[in-house]
Parts: sequence; C-alpha cells; structure tokens
Amino acid sequence: MIKITDLEKFYRTEEVETIALNKLSIEVKRGEFVAIMGPSGCGKSTLLNILGMLDDPDGGSYVFNGVEVAHFNERKRADLRKHNIGFVFQSFNLIDELTVFENVELPLIYTGVPSSERVKRVEEVLDKMQIMHSRNHYPQHLSGGQQQRVAIARAVVNKPKLILADEPTGNLDSSNGNDVMELLTDLNEHGTTIIMVTHSEHDARYSHRIIRLLDGQTVMENIMI
Amino acid sequence: MLKNYLKITWRNLLRHKAFSFINIIGLAIGMSSAALILFWVQNEMSYDQFHTKKDRLYQVYNRSVFDGKLWCWGTTPKVMSKTLKQDYSQIEEVTHTTNGNFLFTVGEKHLNADGNFTDSGFLTMFSFPLISGNPNTALNNINDIVITQKLSKKLFGNDHAMGKVIKIDSNAYFTVTGVMKDLPNNTQFKFEYLMPWSYLKKIGGDDGNWSNNSCQTWALLKPNVTEAVANKSIINITRTHSNVKDIDVFLHPASKWRLYSNFDQKGKVSAGRIAVVKTFSMIAILILLIACINFMNLSTARSEKRAREVGIRKVAGALRGSLIFQFLGESILIALIAGVLALLIIQLSMSGFNLLTDKQLYVPYGNPFFWLIALGFIITTGAVSGSYPALYLSSFKPVSVLKGTFKAANALITPRKLLVVVQFTFAVVLIICTIIIRQQLKYAQERDSGYKKDNLVYVMMTGDMDKHYRLIKSELVSSGAANAVSKTSAPITQGWSDSWDFLWAGKDVSKKIDFNIFNTDGELAKTMGLKIIEGRDIDIKNYPTDSTAVLLNEAAVKIMGFKSPIGQVIKRGEAPNFTSLHVVGIVRDFILQSPFEPIKAMIIQGPKSWFNVIHFRLNDANSTTESLNRAEKIFKKYNPGYPFEYNFIDQDYAKKFGDEQRTQTLASLFAGLTIIISCLGLFGLAAYMAQNRIKEIGVRKVLGASVAGVTTLLSKDFLKLVMISFVIASPIAWIAMDKWLQGYNYRISISIWVFVMAALLTIVISLITVSFQAVKAALANPVKSLRSE
Repeated sequence: MIKITDLEKFYRTEEVETIALNKLSIEVKRGEFVAIMGPSGCGKSTLLNILGMLDDPDGGSYVFNGVEVAHFNERKRADLRKHNIGFVFQSFNLIDELTVFENVELPLIYTGVPSSERVKRVEEVLDKMQIMHSRNHYPQHLSGGQQQRVAIARAVVNKPKLILADEPTGNLDSSNGNDVMELLTDLNEHGTTIIMVTHSEHDARYSHRIIRLLDGQTVMENIMI
Repeated sequence: MLKNYLKITWRNLLRHKAFSFINIIGLAIGMSSAALILFWVQNEMSYDQFHTKKDRLYQVYNRSVFDGKLWCWGTTPKVMSKTLKQDYSQIEEVTHTTNGNFLFTVGEKHLNADGNFTDSGFLTMFSFPLISGNPNTALNNINDIVITQKLSKKLFGNDHAMGKVIKIDSNAYFTVTGVMKDLPNNTQFKFEYLMPWSYLKKIGGDDGNWSNNSCQTWALLKPNVTEAVANKSIINITRTHSNVKDIDVFLHPASKWRLYSNFDQKGKVSAGRIAVVKTFSMIAILILLIACINFMNLSTARSEKRAREVGIRKVAGALRGSLIFQFLGESILIALIAGVLALLIIQLSMSGFNLLTDKQLYVPYGNPFFWLIALGFIITTGAVSGSYPALYLSSFKPVSVLKGTFKAANALITPRKLLVVVQFTFAVVLIICTIIIRQQLKYAQERDSGYKKDNLVYVMMTGDMDKHYRLIKSELVSSGAANAVSKTSAPITQGWSDSWDFLWAGKDVSKKIDFNIFNTDGELAKTMGLKIIEGRDIDIKNYPTDSTAVLLNEAAVKIMGFKSPIGQVIKRGEAPNFTSLHVVGIVRDFILQSPFEPIKAMIIQGPKSWFNVIHFRLNDANSTTESLNRAEKIFKKYNPGYPFEYNFIDQDYAKKFGDEQRTQTLASLFAGLTIIISCLGLFGLAAYMAQNRIKEIGVRKVLGASVAGVTTLLSKDFLKLVMISFVIASPIAWIAMDKWLQGYNYRISISIWVFVMAALLTIVISLITVSFQAVKAALANPVKSLRSE
C-alpha cells in the first residue's frame, strides 16, 4: 500500500540545516498495523506528516496505492487524503465550536456526501464508538478519553484505507489509553491499515511491526508475534 | 457546507463576546459614519440633476476684469432674458428670477414669506411639478401666484388653495393659480411662491439698465445646440445692446451649478464645492477603512484560536479556497450584523447630522435601489475586512498547528503594525486639522469688527415704515427704547450692493475699481458704534447739502489716493447724467462682509439713496425686553397689520462663521470617531498581546519585575507605533491645512505647538487604552499564568 524509497526531509533555518529524514525507505502492506518509535527529534512525526500528505518530502519517492505522490500539488494531495486517510492526534484536535456530531461530520462534508447519508454514517460510527449519548455535547464538556473517541470516530467516518495516529494515547490515562488501542486494533482487524507513532512500548505491542527510527533513518524493525 | 460555516461563525461570535462586540461596534460606527457622509455626498452630487431638461439648461453668467483680475458672476441685467429670447435663435426658452419678500395675509393669518418673481417659462424649463394648476398659464396674469404645498398648508391648512385669494402687503390681492410640490432637498432654488414678473414691473422693480446686475437668468438651449456654439453667439450681447464694452456673457451648465462654481483666470470652470465633496468622500472611505483595519487586526491577532480549526479542516480535505470562502463569509456575516446596527445609528443620528450640515437628508427606506446599494456597501465592507484575515488564516500549515508548535507569539506582527500605523496616522491628521480649524475660527471671531455688535437691532422696512420713518425714529428715541436710529440700505452684517460706476480727481479711467455701497440717512456712527477718524457723520438736519454727502472707509481713501479726502467730489453715473457726491467724513474700516477677507473699499451714501433696513441701538438703561416692547408698540402704531420682526446684529454676525463652525464641528466629530474606532482596535490588540505574552509576564514577575516595569514593557510597542504615525501624519496635516488656510486672506500661521498638542493628546489617549490591558496583565498572579502553560 505504501512504499517510500530514499525519502529525505530537511529543515533549514538561517544558520543550520537539520536532517529530519535521511534517505529513509519503508514499505507498509495493506491491512498492516505498524508502530513507529524512536527518541524525540528522530523524524517520526515528519514521516507521519509526509505519509499523510500534509507535508512534502525534499527527495525520494513515495508511492501510495501504486501511484507516485511525492510531487502532487495541494489540490491532488487534499483529494487523495480526504478519500483515503484518517488522522488521530495526541491532542485530539477537535473544533471547540462544533458539537461531537458536527466534528465527526466534517470529513463527510468535504467529500461531498449528501446530508441524509451523512447523518446515517455519523450515527453509525458514534454508535460504534459508544459516544452516541454525547452527540450534542461540545468537546470541552467531554473527558480526554471521550474526546479521543470522537477524534477516532472522525478519522474513520469516511471509511479510510489508512489511519495515521500520532501518539493517540499521549494525553490519556492508562485505562482510556487501552480503550483507544482496543478501538484501533478493532479497526485494523476489520481491514484498515494503521500506522501509529508512539513513545509507549505498551501501545506498540498492539501493532504487527515496530519500526525504530534514529536521526531520520531506520535502525531496527521488530516483528511482533 | 454553508450551514456548517454559518454555525461556526455564530458560535464563535457568541463564545468570544468581547471580540465580537469590539468588531461589530467598530464596524457599525465606521459604516454609519461613512454612510452618513455618503448620504451627504450623494445629496451634493444630485443638486438640480432631477430636471428632465438638465442637459440643455444653463445659467447666464457675466465675465469681466476688475483691478486686473478676471471675475465671473451669475447675476445679470433684468433685460438680458428678453433680449436673449428675441434675438438668439439657438435658445428655446429663457426665464429669470429675482427674490421678493412680502407679507401674506389670509383672513387673520399674517406671515412673511420668501419667493421669486419669474415668468411661466420657469415652470416649463425646470422640473418643479404642480400638483394643481397649468404650468403653461399659471403665471400669465399679473395677480397670479403659484405657492408650494408647505406655504399652502401654512395659509389654508388642509383646504384646497387653488382659486383662493391672498393679500400681499397691504395693497395687492393675488389668486392662487398653482400649487407646487415642495422643493426637493437637492435644489439650489429656495422659494415658497412664484409671482409673475409683470407684477415686479408694476411696482417699479424692472428696468432696462445693462449695468444693473440684479437677477438670475436661465436659458434652455434648443436640442442639438452645443454650449460652445451658444457661447460664441451670446458673448457680445452686452456690448451689442449697451455702452458697457468690457463684459463677456457665457452659459454655465446645470451639471456644474452646484459643485463647479469657481472660475480660473482664463474664465474656465475650475472647482468649487467639489473640493469639499472630494474631501468628505475621502474621509468616509478612510473612516470605513479604519473600522475594517480593526477587524483585520483583531481577527488575525486571535488567529491562534482559529489555527487548529484551519488545520483540522485541511486534514479533513478542505482546500485553501474553501477556507478563504469560509472566512470571507464570516466577515460578511459580521458586517451584516454591523450593518443592521449601523442603520439604527444612522436613524438615530440623522437629525443631529442634518442640523450639523444644514441639510434635510433622510434614509430612503422605500427605495429598493437604496437597499441594493446598502447590501453592496455591507458586502464590500465585509469582504475588505475579511480579505487579509482570510488569506492569513487559510495559509496555516496543518503540520505545525495540529502538533501544537504553532504560536502567535506577539499580537504585533509587521502587517498588523502597519495597519495600526495607518489608523493612527489618519487619526493624528484629523486631530491636527481640528486644532488648526479651531484656531483659525477663533482668530477670525476675535477680529475687531469695527462696530459695536451688542444691543444693536435691525428690522426690515415693510408696509408704511418708510412713510412714517421720521416719526418712528423720533418716538424710538423719545420713548427710551433706543439711543440712536439709522436707516440703511442693508443690515450692517451684509453687503447688498457694489458698484464701479464712480469717477474722482486722479482716477485712472482705464481701471475698473469696485466699491461696496452702503446707504444711511445719518447717525450711522452713533447707531452702529463706528469710529469717525476724520470729518463728521452725515447730518441732513444741520447740513442741508448732506443729501448727496458720502462717507468713505479707510480702504476707499487709500484706493482713491486722496491726500485730504474731506471735501473731495466723487461723480456717480455716466456723463452727462452725473450725480456729484461730496466726502464729509472717513470711518475706520469695519467688516461688512467676510471676516476672513481684507476690508474692501466702501462708499457710504447719504439720504438721497435707497433704504431697506432700520437699525437702532437699544437703550441700555432698560432691559432688552423692555426696550423691545417699547419699540414694538411704536412699529405696530405706524405699521399696523405687519408683525414686528427684529434681528440682533450680534447673532447675525455669528452666522458669518457658520461654514467654518460646521467644518470645525465635523472635523472634531470625524477625529473623535476615528480615535474611538482606532482605540477599540488598539484595546483588542493589547488584550490579545497580553494574553499571548502571559507566560513571559509570569516569568518576568517571578524574576522580580515590577508591575510598572511590565506595564511599560507591554505599552512600549504600541507607543512606538503611535509615534511613527505622528511623524507620518504631521507633514500630511501641515500640507492640507496650509492649503486650506490659503483660502482665507485673514488667517493664522500654523504653530509648532499644534503638533506638540496633537502628539500629547494621541499619546495620552492610546496610553490609557493600552495600559488598561497592560496593568491587568501585570497584576495577574504569575503562579496562575505559569501553570496555565
């Protein structure tokens, strides 16, 4: 599903150039659950952003579903992203002014799903995430765990092929964290490919494979049994 | 999608009430101020543009050289109209107008009304529709009268006026042959009735003198005749028909009557009121822009709050275009709310604004075109306000905003600084202008008028006043109502007549020298409180030859070049019909016309001339009311049937400053509004800056910074901007005001203190605005602010 080859990304300031990704090559197959680990600054988030087409690489190749996307423009990337990729963030990133229902509905609006269909699909996913009772609440009235459930609901409402999760349990206590990991595992078992950046060895154990990065390069891959 | 945008806009407005309040109020003040000014501008630009034949309508003008300068003026000889109509084939119709003021009596109702003498051509050339009556015949008979609805209501109440009879003064009866729709608020014509020219002729007001410019003449050209062709044909009309050989005649088109009434030295239309209209339009746009800038600054300053939303929407598949659309929609919605509020403000302030501008403006609620323009105005305001925020907010990269690394560290980034500088530059320019206008006004108000204005009263001569003048005069004094009485040609605050028709020993006959003409029957100096600096006042009682005596003012003595003026003979009129006038006294210069102009040469003629006004100085031994009561009895006794209407000279004199007073009030108002709107923005910006620097303030306080230190730190940045604005504004204001002052011969010179005062004022106001937020932030408990991070 994803194949990146010799991927490079630099951050330049006036005085220094930092290499975030240094000729990194990774392949992720459809239906895989991959965890990416490594110390702060090793390039995990940069990699995730490039995979999510939120950022461009400076060099190398990125093939998504058999198509080279490394040099896609914003419009093409947005189009590919909204139909194929769901995001889950550490800080939930819900819009405070929208209710739970409206937050989850947002990706459907941008993919042009008709209103009646949107209601059906949002209700379906809220039900699945067990947050139907909070549908009219605003995010700030929910607990962290509930907020992350809403965020996951939003990530999956468009039925994406790939979910990119950036430390999804980072802001949660262990009980809520475990719930979130269970949800992701469940999604994966139903066919969604998941790539998750994490600092937590515990969370990483839910994945099939751990890729460890250091200074923008792969240093080790562990296959989980 | 639209519903989603509306929802989020509405909830944002409700959640951030202070921000919404500042934005909406700022925009509403800006929009209402701009709209009021634009109503004024629209009114000015539409003056006399409603006449259906306006493209062919012209006023007849004269052009001649006086004292080496070219002058153009719009009064003509009365005979002009008839001559144009008879001899010039390019002209389809001509009419003329001159003022009349009569006492109208219907039953027990008496009232004075102003109107025009004219002929029926007036009603067919101009679009002043008659509600009843035939415009082609309404002024055909000598005792016909056309009255406006307003006058009809005053005289006849709700009864139909057509065919009814009105007594004019004490000796004539007129039949109403037409009732005219009230004049609109955008015409230069001011009359409540029209009387036939034939009546003016009957009472001796018409003449065939080509030197007597005393009426306005209006011409309607035939279709397809151009102004240039007509001008070429009529240029010599005065030369052809009279001995006056140095006057050109030309046509001034209806499209230029109101706004382009000044002429350059080549006789071409140069400018006029259009300069004021342009200045006002510019001020309207700038005030609105300042309100838009507030919106831009506040919207972008709180961008951190919106950044996450932008990121999420982008991740969810939104393109930049759709976000720009969203943010523009938001600002247009806010502008719409502000627009409704602005309409309310306009409605509430319209009467005050009308008073201020001496207009009768109103909001045309029933006109669909108005609503279309209003909507366009609101959408444009919203779009302009929202443009920069939309571009700025939509440019955020989701990578940084969603990861939480995005920080709008300071509310004062460069584009915002620039916008604040623009706002304050405009505010400072207006403050400086206001101060200078105020100084100029005060300077002219304090100028010595040359006579004593207090306790001086005048009445217009009506009915039998002239016949019984001697008795009125003697009884006013003997009853103790007045100390002195003088009959004059015009109120001493107004010059009604001028002439260049004089000859004296040593005059350069090739030069035309124009004099103000004022007439008195005597006791002028005593009544007005003028100073005779040489010779004596006119005194027919003791000097029987004084019927042809004249007084000169100092300016006249100078221009005539007299070394010993007393006893000099001045000849008036054309040979051989001279009238010989002899100089008996010199009066110290006094202000007859504009207090902003140098005093013009003046000849004050004695009893053998014409009179319109009685001046009398109230006896200060009595109270004003008592003196006036006594005076009223005397006037009523000798002029029964006429109301006793008097005017105080000091009030009349104050009216000379009406325009300047209005300019000053408007400038203060605009300056005040600009300051208010700018400070609203500054207040909001300071709040955001304090919020964004809350951690820095906490750290500084933990390390020992004082409240004063932190307040200074936060206020410093804003003050710097205000100072930059001042540096930019000063030369702009100086240039503008220097140009404005050039329009006055009697003027102040701009002092450096004006700028110092303006700088101090702006600094104090902005410091108060900013320091409120700064002190609040500085007083906050650092433990709390550091924990909040």
